[in-house]
Amino acid sequence: MNAIELNHIHKSFGGFAIQDLSLTVPSGTICGLVGENGAGKSTTIRLALGALRPDSGAAAVLGTDVSSPAFTGVKEDVGVVLDEAYFPETLNALQVGKILASTYRQWEQGTYESYLDRFSLPVRKPFKDFSRGMKMKLAITAALSHRPKLLVLDEATSGLDPIVRDEVLEIFNEFTREEDHSILISSHIVSDLEKLCDYIAFLHQGRLLFCQEKDRLLEDYGVFVGTAEQAQSLLPEAVVGREARDYGGVRALVKRGMVPETLALERPTVEEIILFIVKGENRR
Amino acid sequence: MKALIQKDVYVLWKQMKIFLLVMLVIMVGNGSFGSVFVVVWCSMMPYTALAYDERCKWDQMAAMMPYSPRDLVLSKYVLGWLCAGAASAVVLAVQAIIRALHLSVATGTPLAVLMSFCASASVLAITLVIFLVCGAAGALGTVTISVDQTAGGIQSLFGFFMLILPVAAVALTAVSIPLSMRLYTARR
Repeated sequence: MNAIELNHIHKSFGGFAIQDLSLTVPSGTICGLVGENGAGKSTTIRLALGALRPDSGAAAVLGTDVSSPAFTGVKEDVGVVLDEAYFPETLNALQVGKILASTYRQWEQGTYESYLDRFSLPVRKPFKDFSRGMKMKLAITAALSHRPKLLVLDEATSGLDPIVRDEVLEIFNEFTREEDHSILISSHIVSDLEKLCDYIAFLHQGRLLFCQEKDRLLEDYGVFVGTAEQAQSLLPEAVVGREARDYGGVRALVKRGMVPETLALERPTVEEIILFIVKGENRR
Repeated sequence: MKALIQKDVYVLWKQMKIFLLVMLVIMVGNGSFGSVFVVVWCSMMPYTALAYDERCKWDQMAAMMPYSPRDLVLSKYVLGWLCAGAASAVVLAVQAIIRALHLSVATGTPLAVLMSFCASASVLAITLVIFLVCGAAGALGTVTISVDQTAGGIQSLFGFFMLILPVAAVALTAVSIPLSMRLYTARR
Protein backbone atom coordinates (compact mmCIF):
# COMPACT_ATOMS: atom_id res chain seq x y z
CA MET A 1 0.00 0.00 0.00
CA ASN A 2 1.15 3.52 -0.73
CA ALA A 3 1.15 6.04 2.10
CA ILE A 4 0.28 8.89 -0.29
CA GLU A 5 -0.95 8.78 -3.86
CA LEU A 6 -1.66 11.90 -5.89
CA ASN A 7 -2.99 11.30 -9.38
CA HIS A 8 -3.04 14.05 -12.02
CA ILE A 9 -3.94 16.78 -9.56
CA HIS A 10 -4.75 20.22 -10.93
CA LYS A 11 -5.44 23.19 -8.69
CA SER A 12 -5.54 26.75 -9.93
CA PHE A 13 -5.39 29.92 -7.85
CA GLY A 14 -5.44 32.47 -10.64
CA GLY A 15 -1.80 33.48 -10.84
CA PHE A 16 -0.49 30.11 -9.71
CA ALA A 17 -1.45 26.54 -10.48
CA ILE A 18 -0.47 23.03 -9.50
CA GLN A 19 -0.36 21.23 -12.83
CA ASP A 20 -0.84 17.53 -13.44
CA LEU A 21 0.79 16.51 -10.20
CA SER A 22 1.25 12.79 -9.73
CA LEU A 23 3.24 11.72 -6.71
CA THR A 24 3.49 8.44 -4.85
CA VAL A 25 5.04 7.89 -1.44
CA PRO A 26 5.36 4.14 -0.86
CA SER A 27 4.58 2.91 2.63
CA GLY A 28 7.65 2.61 4.83
CA THR A 29 9.65 5.28 3.03
CA ILE A 30 10.63 8.91 3.55
CA CYS A 31 9.94 11.27 0.68
CA GLY A 32 11.44 14.75 0.60
CA LEU A 33 9.58 17.49 -1.21
CA VAL A 34 11.93 20.14 -2.51
CA GLY A 35 11.25 23.35 -4.36
CA GLU A 36 11.81 27.08 -4.30
CA ASN A 37 9.52 29.46 -2.37
CA GLY A 38 6.12 29.45 -4.01
CA ALA A 39 6.78 26.23 -5.94
CA GLY A 40 3.66 24.68 -4.42
CA LYS A 41 5.06 22.48 -1.63
CA SER A 42 2.58 23.60 1.04
CA THR A 43 -0.27 23.50 -1.48
CA THR A 44 0.70 19.95 -2.40
CA ILE A 45 0.63 18.95 1.25
CA ARG A 46 -2.77 20.59 1.76
CA LEU A 47 -4.10 18.82 -1.34
CA ALA A 48 -2.70 15.50 -0.14
CA LEU A 49 -4.46 15.84 3.20
CA GLY A 50 -7.78 16.99 1.79
CA ALA A 51 -7.48 20.48 3.27
CA LEU A 52 -7.78 21.81 -0.28
CA ARG A 53 -10.05 20.37 -2.93
CA PRO A 54 -8.37 19.86 -6.32
CA ASP A 55 -9.98 21.18 -9.52
CA SER A 56 -9.34 17.73 -10.98
CA GLY A 57 -7.45 14.58 -10.09
CA ALA A 58 -7.57 12.38 -7.02
CA ALA A 59 -5.63 11.97 -3.81
CA ALA A 60 -5.48 9.03 -1.43
CA VAL A 61 -3.74 8.70 1.92
CA LEU A 62 -3.16 5.31 3.59
CA GLY A 63 -5.42 3.78 0.97
CA THR A 64 -8.39 6.11 1.53
CA ASP A 65 -9.63 8.75 -0.88
CA VAL A 66 -9.14 12.08 0.89
CA SER A 67 -12.45 13.42 -0.43
CA SER A 68 -14.43 10.60 1.20
CA PRO A 69 -16.02 11.03 4.65
CA ALA A 70 -14.00 8.02 5.83
CA PHE A 71 -10.84 10.10 5.55
CA THR A 72 -11.70 12.01 8.74
CA GLY A 73 -11.06 8.77 10.64
CA VAL A 74 -7.86 8.05 8.70
CA LYS A 75 -6.45 11.40 9.88
CA GLU A 76 -6.08 9.71 13.30
CA ASP A 77 -3.08 7.95 11.72
CA VAL A 78 -1.55 11.09 10.25
CA GLY A 79 0.73 13.40 12.24
CA VAL A 80 1.05 16.86 10.77
CA VAL A 81 3.61 19.59 11.38
CA LEU A 82 3.09 22.72 9.32
CA ASP A 83 5.53 25.55 8.67
CA GLU A 84 4.26 27.19 11.84
CA ALA A 85 2.55 25.63 14.82
CA TYR A 86 -0.95 26.95 14.43
CA PHE A 87 -2.12 26.47 18.01
CA PRO A 88 -3.95 29.36 19.69
CA GLU A 89 -1.24 31.48 21.20
CA THR A 90 -2.75 31.86 24.66
CA LEU A 91 -2.64 28.12 25.28
CA ASN A 92 0.19 26.34 27.03
CA ALA A 93 1.63 22.88 26.37
CA LEU A 94 -0.53 21.35 29.09
CA GLN A 95 -3.73 22.68 27.50
CA VAL A 96 -2.59 21.68 24.01
CA GLY A 97 -2.09 18.16 25.37
CA LYS A 98 -5.59 18.09 26.87
CA ILE A 99 -7.18 19.30 23.62
CA LEU A 100 -5.29 16.74 21.57
CA ALA A 101 -6.15 14.01 24.05
CA SER A 102 -9.81 14.76 23.32
CA THR A 103 -9.06 14.88 19.59
CA TYR A 104 -7.14 11.66 18.99
CA ARG A 105 -8.46 8.31 20.18
CA GLN A 106 -4.91 6.92 20.18
CA TRP A 107 -3.41 9.80 22.14
CA GLU A 108 -0.52 8.78 24.39
CA GLN A 109 -0.10 11.25 27.24
CA GLY A 110 3.08 9.50 28.41
CA THR A 111 4.72 9.89 24.99
CA TYR A 112 3.66 13.55 24.87
CA GLU A 113 5.14 14.24 28.28
CA SER A 114 8.37 12.40 27.47
CA TYR A 115 8.86 14.47 24.30
CA LEU A 116 8.09 17.69 26.22
CA ASP A 117 10.77 16.64 28.65
CA ARG A 118 13.20 15.59 25.91
CA PHE A 119 12.82 18.98 24.18
CA SER A 120 12.89 20.84 27.53
CA LEU A 121 9.60 22.56 26.76
CA PRO A 122 7.92 24.47 29.59
CA VAL A 123 4.50 23.06 30.39
CA ARG A 124 2.73 26.15 31.69
CA LYS A 125 4.32 28.90 29.61
CA PRO A 126 1.87 30.44 27.11
CA PHE A 127 2.55 29.41 23.55
CA LYS A 128 2.89 33.06 22.45
CA ASP A 129 6.03 33.40 24.58
CA PHE A 130 7.70 30.42 22.87
CA SER A 131 10.57 30.97 20.43
CA ARG A 132 10.02 29.71 16.88
CA GLY A 133 12.18 26.69 17.63
CA MET A 134 10.13 25.87 20.74
CA LYS A 135 6.89 26.23 18.79
CA MET A 136 8.11 23.80 16.16
CA LYS A 137 9.26 21.37 18.86
CA LEU A 138 5.79 21.47 20.42
CA ALA A 139 4.20 20.85 17.02
CA ILE A 140 6.53 17.88 16.44
CA THR A 141 5.78 16.58 19.94
CA ALA A 142 2.04 16.78 19.27
CA ALA A 143 2.39 15.06 15.88
CA LEU A 144 4.34 12.14 17.35
CA SER A 145 2.11 11.50 20.36
CA HIS A 146 -0.89 9.83 18.78
CA ARG A 147 0.80 6.82 17.19
CA PRO A 148 0.68 8.09 13.59
CA LYS A 149 1.56 5.85 10.67
CA LEU A 150 2.29 8.79 8.40
CA LEU A 151 4.07 12.01 9.27
CA VAL A 152 3.54 15.01 7.02
CA LEU A 153 6.06 17.71 7.76
CA ASP A 154 5.99 21.09 6.06
CA GLU A 155 9.24 22.95 6.77
CA ALA A 156 9.23 21.29 10.17
CA THR A 157 12.96 21.71 10.75
CA SER A 158 13.17 25.38 9.80
CA GLY A 159 13.90 27.65 12.71
CA LEU A 160 15.63 24.92 14.66
CA ASP A 161 19.28 25.24 15.56
CA PRO A 162 21.61 22.62 14.00
CA ILE A 163 21.88 20.54 17.18
CA VAL A 164 18.12 20.29 17.71
CA ARG A 165 17.62 19.80 13.97
CA ASP A 166 19.92 16.83 14.07
CA GLU A 167 18.05 15.45 17.08
CA VAL A 168 14.71 15.92 15.32
CA LEU A 169 16.00 14.19 12.18
CA GLU A 170 17.11 11.31 14.37
CA ILE A 171 13.59 11.14 15.84
CA PHE A 172 12.14 11.02 12.31
CA ASN A 173 14.61 8.26 11.46
CA GLU A 174 13.53 6.32 14.57
CA PHE A 175 9.91 6.77 13.48
CA THR A 176 10.50 5.01 10.16
CA ARG A 177 12.10 1.98 11.79
CA GLU A 178 8.58 0.53 11.94
CA GLU A 179 8.03 -0.81 8.45
CA ASP A 180 4.57 0.68 7.92
CA HIS A 181 5.61 4.18 9.00
CA SER A 182 6.15 6.79 6.29
CA ILE A 183 7.11 10.46 6.08
CA LEU A 184 6.48 13.21 3.56
CA ILE A 185 8.71 16.12 4.42
CA SER A 186 9.17 19.43 2.66
CA SER A 187 12.20 21.53 3.43
CA HIS A 188 14.45 24.24 2.05
CA ILE A 189 17.35 22.58 3.78
CA VAL A 190 18.19 20.07 1.06
CA SER A 191 21.12 18.66 3.03
CA ASP A 192 18.63 17.53 5.71
CA LEU A 193 16.55 15.78 3.08
CA GLU A 194 19.62 14.16 1.55
CA LYS A 195 20.49 12.79 4.98
CA LEU A 196 16.98 11.54 5.72
CA CYS A 197 15.06 10.67 2.58
CA ASP A 198 14.66 7.58 0.41
CA TYR A 199 12.87 9.53 -2.32
CA ILE A 200 13.27 13.10 -3.51
CA ALA A 201 10.42 14.91 -5.27
CA PHE A 202 11.21 18.22 -6.90
CA LEU A 203 8.51 20.81 -7.52
CA HIS A 204 9.17 23.80 -9.72
CA GLN A 205 6.54 26.44 -10.49
CA GLY A 206 3.68 24.10 -9.65
CA ARG A 207 5.00 21.16 -11.70
CA LEU A 208 6.65 18.03 -10.40
CA LEU A 209 9.93 17.80 -12.31
CA PHE A 210 10.90 14.47 -10.80
CA CYS A 211 10.20 12.07 -7.98
CA GLN A 212 12.95 9.53 -7.76
CA GLU A 213 14.79 7.31 -5.36
CA LYS A 214 17.60 9.39 -3.90
CA ASP A 215 20.33 6.81 -4.55
CA ARG A 216 19.13 6.32 -8.11
CA LEU A 217 19.11 10.09 -8.61
CA LEU A 218 22.70 10.37 -7.42
CA GLU A 219 23.69 7.49 -9.71
CA ASP A 220 21.90 8.85 -12.76
CA TYR A 221 23.58 12.22 -12.74
CA GLY A 222 27.19 13.32 -12.64
CA VAL A 223 28.99 16.63 -12.55
CA PHE A 224 31.31 17.34 -15.45
CA VAL A 225 34.12 19.80 -14.79
CA GLY A 226 36.29 20.80 -17.73
CA THR A 227 37.00 23.31 -20.43
CA ALA A 228 34.43 24.84 -22.76
CA GLU A 229 35.93 22.83 -25.65
CA GLN A 230 35.52 19.55 -23.74
CA ALA A 231 31.95 20.53 -22.88
CA GLN A 232 31.21 21.10 -26.58
CA SER A 233 31.90 17.43 -27.23
CA LEU A 234 29.05 16.36 -24.94
CA LEU A 235 25.69 15.48 -26.47
CA PRO A 236 23.33 18.45 -25.94
CA GLU A 237 20.62 16.13 -24.54
CA ALA A 238 23.12 14.77 -22.00
CA VAL A 239 23.60 18.20 -20.42
CA VAL A 240 20.91 19.05 -17.89
CA GLY A 241 22.37 22.40 -16.89
CA ARG A 242 25.68 24.18 -17.00
CA GLU A 243 27.50 27.14 -15.54
CA ALA A 244 30.60 29.02 -16.60
CA ARG A 245 33.60 29.03 -14.29
CA ASP A 246 36.74 31.12 -14.15
CA TYR A 247 39.37 30.88 -16.92
CA GLY A 248 36.94 29.52 -19.51
CA GLY A 249 36.02 26.48 -17.45
CA VAL A 250 32.61 24.83 -17.45
CA ARG A 251 30.78 22.90 -14.79
CA ALA A 252 27.76 20.92 -15.99
CA LEU A 253 25.27 18.40 -14.68
CA VAL A 254 25.09 15.53 -17.12
CA LYS A 255 23.15 12.30 -17.44
CA ARG A 256 25.71 9.57 -16.77
CA GLY A 257 24.14 7.18 -19.25
CA MET A 258 24.62 9.61 -22.12
CA VAL A 259 28.30 10.44 -21.71
CA PRO A 260 31.31 8.20 -22.41
CA GLU A 261 32.25 6.02 -19.44
CA THR A 262 35.84 7.19 -19.79
CA LEU A 263 34.81 10.73 -18.88
CA ALA A 264 35.53 11.41 -15.22
CA LEU A 265 32.48 12.78 -13.44
CA GLU A 266 32.10 14.06 -9.89
CA ARG A 267 29.34 12.73 -7.67
CA PRO A 268 26.70 15.48 -7.33
CA THR A 269 24.72 16.40 -4.25
CA VAL A 270 20.93 16.54 -4.40
CA GLU A 271 21.20 20.33 -4.05
CA GLU A 272 23.47 20.54 -7.11
CA ILE A 273 21.11 18.40 -9.15
CA ILE A 274 18.20 20.63 -8.25
CA LEU A 275 20.06 23.86 -8.93
CA PHE A 276 21.28 22.68 -12.33
CA ILE A 277 17.82 21.44 -13.29
CA VAL A 278 16.29 24.81 -12.38
CA LYS A 279 18.97 26.62 -14.41
CA GLY A 280 18.31 24.30 -17.34
CA GLU A 281 14.54 24.86 -17.04
CA ASN A 282 14.92 28.62 -16.89
CA ARG A 283 17.05 28.66 -20.03
CA ARG A 284 14.30 26.87 -22.01
CA MET B 1 -16.34 18.26 18.87
CA LYS B 2 -15.52 18.17 22.57
CA ALA B 3 -11.90 19.04 21.80
CA LEU B 4 -12.90 22.02 19.68
CA ILE B 5 -15.19 23.42 22.38
CA GLN B 6 -12.52 22.74 24.98
CA LYS B 7 -10.00 24.73 22.91
CA ASP B 8 -12.40 27.67 22.54
CA VAL B 9 -13.20 27.67 26.25
CA TYR B 10 -9.47 27.72 27.12
CA VAL B 11 -8.86 30.59 24.71
CA LEU B 12 -11.91 32.61 25.74
CA TRP B 13 -11.35 32.06 29.43
CA LYS B 14 -7.80 33.40 29.17
CA GLN B 15 -8.95 36.46 27.24
CA MET B 16 -12.29 37.18 28.81
CA LYS B 17 -11.69 37.04 32.54
CA ILE B 18 -11.77 40.83 32.86
CA PHE B 19 -14.84 41.05 30.64
CA LEU B 20 -16.68 38.61 32.88
CA LEU B 21 -16.12 40.94 35.80
CA VAL B 22 -17.45 43.89 33.79
CA MET B 23 -20.43 41.78 32.73
CA LEU B 24 -21.27 41.15 36.35
CA VAL B 25 -21.19 44.90 37.04
CA ILE B 26 -23.44 45.58 34.05
CA MET B 27 -25.81 42.83 35.07
CA VAL B 28 -26.16 44.14 38.60
CA GLY B 29 -26.24 47.80 37.66
CA ASN B 30 -28.52 47.82 34.62
CA GLY B 31 -31.43 45.63 35.58
CA SER B 32 -33.18 43.88 32.72
CA PHE B 33 -31.25 45.81 30.04
CA GLY B 34 -28.01 44.64 31.60
CA SER B 35 -29.26 41.07 31.76
CA VAL B 36 -30.27 41.03 28.10
CA PHE B 37 -26.97 42.71 27.22
CA VAL B 38 -24.95 40.05 29.01
CA VAL B 39 -26.87 37.12 27.48
CA VAL B 40 -26.62 38.58 23.95
CA TRP B 41 -22.93 39.39 24.46
CA CYS B 42 -22.16 35.88 25.66
CA SER B 43 -24.12 34.29 22.82
CA MET B 44 -21.77 36.13 20.46
CA MET B 45 -18.65 34.60 22.00
CA PRO B 46 -18.20 32.26 19.00
CA TYR B 47 -17.36 35.35 16.92
CA THR B 48 -14.54 36.17 19.33
CA ALA B 49 -13.40 32.54 19.18
CA LEU B 50 -13.45 32.68 15.37
CA ALA B 51 -11.32 35.83 15.44
CA TYR B 52 -8.72 34.08 17.59
CA ASP B 53 -8.80 31.04 15.30
CA GLU B 54 -8.19 33.25 12.30
CA ARG B 55 -5.32 35.06 13.97
CA CYS B 56 -3.39 31.84 14.66
CA LYS B 57 -4.54 30.15 11.40
CA TRP B 58 -6.06 27.34 13.44
CA ASP B 59 -8.42 26.46 10.59
CA GLN B 60 -5.45 25.36 8.44
CA MET B 61 -4.27 23.03 11.20
CA ALA B 62 -7.77 21.82 12.03
CA ALA B 63 -8.41 20.89 8.38
CA MET B 64 -5.61 18.31 8.69
CA MET B 65 -6.79 16.89 12.01
CA PRO B 66 -9.54 14.32 12.53
CA TYR B 67 -12.33 16.88 12.72
CA SER B 68 -15.15 16.66 10.19
CA PRO B 69 -16.44 19.90 8.61
CA ARG B 70 -19.65 19.21 10.54
CA ASP B 71 -17.75 19.17 13.86
CA LEU B 72 -15.83 22.33 12.99
CA VAL B 73 -19.00 24.28 12.16
CA LEU B 74 -21.30 22.81 14.81
CA SER B 75 -18.77 23.34 17.60
CA LYS B 76 -19.10 27.10 17.19
CA TYR B 77 -22.90 26.90 17.37
CA VAL B 78 -22.72 24.68 20.44
CA LEU B 79 -20.26 27.10 22.01
CA GLY B 80 -22.75 29.94 21.40
CA TRP B 81 -25.58 27.93 22.94
CA LEU B 82 -23.43 26.98 25.94
CA CYS B 83 -22.34 30.59 26.47
CA ALA B 84 -25.91 31.90 26.16
CA GLY B 85 -27.16 29.14 28.47
CA ALA B 86 -24.47 29.78 31.05
CA ALA B 87 -25.06 33.55 30.86
CA SER B 88 -28.82 33.05 31.28
CA ALA B 89 -28.24 30.85 34.31
CA VAL B 90 -25.88 33.40 35.86
CA VAL B 91 -28.31 36.24 35.07
CA LEU B 92 -31.17 34.38 36.75
CA ALA B 93 -29.03 33.58 39.75
CA VAL B 94 -27.80 37.16 40.12
CA GLN B 95 -31.33 38.56 39.73
CA ALA B 96 -32.59 36.12 42.35
CA ILE B 97 -29.83 37.17 44.75
CA ILE B 98 -30.58 40.85 44.14
CA ARG B 99 -34.28 40.29 44.79
CA ALA B 100 -33.58 38.24 47.89
CA LEU B 101 -31.31 40.89 49.32
CA HIS B 102 -33.66 43.72 48.24
CA LEU B 103 -30.70 45.50 46.76
CA SER B 104 -31.39 48.87 45.25
CA VAL B 105 -28.80 49.58 42.64
CA ALA B 106 -28.53 52.61 40.45
CA THR B 107 -29.29 52.07 36.81
CA GLY B 108 -27.07 53.28 34.08
CA THR B 109 -23.71 51.90 35.14
CA PRO B 110 -21.35 53.61 32.74
CA LEU B 111 -20.94 51.25 29.81
CA ALA B 112 -17.95 53.32 28.82
CA VAL B 113 -16.10 51.17 31.35
CA LEU B 114 -16.85 48.22 29.11
CA MET B 115 -16.07 50.13 25.94
CA SER B 116 -12.67 51.10 27.30
CA PHE B 117 -11.76 47.41 27.32
CA CYS B 118 -12.70 46.95 23.71
CA ALA B 119 -9.37 47.14 22.01
CA SER B 120 -10.31 46.05 18.55
CA ALA B 121 -12.75 47.54 16.11
CA SER B 122 -14.47 44.20 15.71
CA VAL B 123 -15.32 44.04 19.39
CA LEU B 124 -16.66 47.60 19.21
CA ALA B 125 -18.79 46.61 16.25
CA ILE B 126 -20.15 43.62 18.15
CA THR B 127 -20.86 45.85 21.12
CA LEU B 128 -22.80 48.20 18.85
CA VAL B 129 -24.84 45.31 17.48
CA ILE B 130 -25.62 44.19 21.00
CA PHE B 131 -26.72 47.71 21.91
CA LEU B 132 -29.01 47.71 18.89
CA VAL B 133 -30.46 44.33 19.85
CA CYS B 134 -30.95 45.36 23.45
CA GLY B 135 -32.34 48.76 22.42
CA ALA B 136 -34.76 47.07 20.05
CA ALA B 137 -35.80 44.67 22.82
CA GLY B 138 -36.37 47.64 25.14
CA ALA B 139 -38.33 49.53 22.50
CA LEU B 140 -40.43 46.48 21.82
CA GLY B 141 -41.18 46.17 25.51
CA THR B 142 -42.21 49.84 25.70
CA VAL B 143 -44.46 49.58 22.65
CA THR B 144 -46.06 46.43 24.01
CA ILE B 145 -46.71 48.04 27.39
CA SER B 146 -48.22 51.19 25.80
CA VAL B 147 -50.40 49.11 23.49
CA ASP B 148 -51.38 47.05 26.47
CA GLN B 149 -52.41 50.12 28.45
CA THR B 150 -54.20 52.08 25.69
CA ALA B 151 -56.07 49.18 24.20
CA GLY B 152 -57.18 47.89 27.52
CA GLY B 153 -55.23 44.74 28.03
CA ILE B 154 -54.08 43.68 24.60
CA GLN B 155 -51.35 41.37 25.63
CA SER B 156 -51.44 39.37 22.46
CA LEU B 157 -48.76 41.49 20.78
CA PHE B 158 -46.25 40.73 23.48
CA GLY B 159 -47.32 37.10 23.45
CA PHE B 160 -47.01 37.04 19.70
CA PHE B 161 -43.43 38.29 19.84
CA MET B 162 -42.58 35.92 22.67
CA LEU B 163 -43.73 33.08 20.48
CA ILE B 164 -42.46 34.22 17.11
CA LEU B 165 -38.94 35.25 18.19
CA PRO B 166 -37.84 31.86 19.55
CA VAL B 167 -39.43 30.13 16.55
CA ALA B 168 -37.61 32.54 14.22
CA ALA B 169 -34.37 31.92 16.09
CA VAL B 170 -34.73 28.14 15.78
CA ALA B 171 -35.68 28.43 12.08
CA LEU B 172 -32.77 30.75 11.31
CA THR B 173 -30.36 28.46 13.15
CA ALA B 174 -31.71 25.46 11.24
CA VAL B 175 -31.02 27.29 7.97
CA SER B 176 -27.75 28.77 9.16
CA ILE B 177 -26.04 25.50 10.16
CA PRO B 178 -26.19 23.75 6.74
CA LEU B 179 -25.39 27.07 5.05
CA SER B 180 -22.29 27.48 7.25
CA MET B 181 -21.21 23.92 6.47
CA ARG B 182 -21.62 24.52 2.76
CA LEU B 183 -19.65 27.80 2.93
CA TYR B 184 -16.95 26.14 5.03
CA THR B 185 -16.57 23.29 2.52
CA ALA B 186 -16.62 25.73 -0.42
CA ARG B 187 -13.68 27.63 1.10
CA ARG B 188 -11.49 24.61 0.31
